[in-house]
Amino acid sequence: MATEETLNQIFQMVFDDDCIQIYPATTANDVDGWDSLSHVNLITTIEAKFSIRFTQKELLKQKNVGDLIADIDRKLAGN
Amino acid sequence: MTFTSFTFYLFLTFVYLVFYWTADRWRWLVLLTASYAFYATFKAPYLLVVLLMVTAISYTCGLKIAAQQQESAKKRWLWIGSTACVAILVLMKYLPFLEAQGNNLLGLNTAITRTLVSIGVSYFTFQAISYMADIYLEIEEEPERHFGRYALYLAFFPKLLQGPIERTGDLLPQLKKPYQFDYDAMLSGMILFTLGLFKKVVVADRFALYADQVFNNIHDYTGLPLLLGIYAYAFQIYFDFSAYTDMARGTGRIFGINLTENFNSPYLATSIADFWRRWHISFSRWILDYIFKPLQLGWRDWGQTGTALALLVTFIISGIWHGATWGFFIWGLLHGIYLASSTYYKPYQKKLYKWLGIEKSCWLKWWQMFVTFHLVSFAWVFFRANSVGNALTAVFSVFKVNHSFSFNQLLISDLSSMFVILLALALVHLLKIVHQYKNRIDVNCLSANHLIVHTLSVVIISIMFYLVIFCGVATKSFIYTQF
Repeated sequence: MATEETLNQIFQMVFDDDCIQIYPATTANDVDGWDSLSHVNLITTIEAKFSIRFTQKELLKQKNVGDLIADIDRKLAGN
Repeated sequence: MTFTSFTFYLFLTFVYLVFYWTADRWRWLVLLTASYAFYATFKAPYLLVVLLMVTAISYTCGLKIAAQQQESAKKRWLWIGSTACVAILVLMKYLPFLEAQGNNLLGLNTAITRTLVSIGVSYFTFQAISYMADIYLEIEEEPERHFGRYALYLAFFPKLLQGPIERTGDLLPQLKKPYQFDYDAMLSGMILFTLGLFKKVVVADRFALYADQVFNNIHDYTGLPLLLGIYAYAFQIYFDFSAYTDMARGTGRIFGINLTENFNSPYLATSIADFWRRWHISFSRWILDYIFKPLQLGWRDWGQTGTALALLVTFIISGIWHGATWGFFIWGLLHGIYLASSTYYKPYQKKLYKWLGIEKSCWLKWWQMFVTFHLVSFAWVFFRANSVGNALTAVFSVFKVNHSFSFNQLLISDLSSMFVILLALALVHLLKIVHQYKNRIDVNCLSANHLIVHTLSVVIISIMFYLVIFCGVATKSFIYTQF
């Protein structure tokens, strides 16, 4: 839950919209402005905030916010 | 054998009848045999060998990727498979170019590869690469273990020559489903095929008459007649390619298979990024997922520069894929520059529109469509012109005012030709409206409305048939078949 809240703040900051509310099922189609160009800003901000580094395969596999949270939690747990 | 030849209609009827009367468990074999037979009609036996090689390589590598436990081993098999497929594609497409360069360099005059054709190779190779990548990324949970069905996924004849480039998850499950005759699917498939035939023979090839005249005599044209020639080519390539896609999708539907839509009114795009979401959709999805994204994410530490560079490289590769000429390279480079530069100015543009209070204005939308269409058409000049020199001549000559201009310069001023084009465009649009309406009333099941819509469709298709037979232009081959 803590990860989701922090992630929500990151989404609000990157997409400059305080009304954004993300859920595990949220995809790029649900967030205004989340396209392949803004995606890279989102990823670099997440990596900086959580002090983690995604592999290319992890990034290419992520299909929704749920996948993103699962990868963040796994990395924070040290796996 | 092309989709517009009479032989194809006989072939299609024969294959469908055999398919229909065969038991479900052998239907894949009927379609696979038909697909290889269709490919064999291009009288280049090496194409069948190349298809079989790409099939065997990607099938084997797919199994190997899935079987490995270690990430590094999975990656190794992905690289082996992708490199082998790309090497085959490069050899098939660029051997004539490399031979010509070798001849120039060494003063030789060999012509071993001059007649080499690579029709269809790009499309099934792209599918093979996406299949292996999707298994590696675990988008596909299991590799296909039935070699025959996998071979059919790559070779399915409606999309073999110029796509759509189908994803494994979209097409393979459909090829495994039992077939059941569906009157609506059969009818809509035939209508879509006829619409495609009409768009090719009556619209695209009629635009081609004027576009060819202008681009083959570029020094004779200036100003408006030249500009209309450029517009004519923009419409020719759209109608030509979308016609093929309609015919491919129509043929697929006859066999109960839904192929991906490749176009969504691309000239109504309001930006170049929007254009690429609407033009050759299966290809743009492919280059986005398998070239752009890995590059962009790999270069993410460079921020916006990394994204801009990834866009530039992706579209240069896309240009070179079309052929080893400077014209294609510049076409790709232009689209790369359009998109790369937009990553810098887009945020400011958005703020400016907001500040001016015009972000929701319909005038702004029309202006953006106008600008996008002209940027795309500008790039088409380099794509179509016989040389870069000719393209530059066209670009500069279009601004020259021709004082001796007369409407006789415009082949399009031939009234009957203009009338046929306008009627054709109106019919295509009308059919689209009728079908949109049909989809809406399906929910309500109003039988009277159904009857009207059905009758209207039949009337429009009948007029289209009439025009195909009596107003069709002697057909040229499809533009994108050469890529």
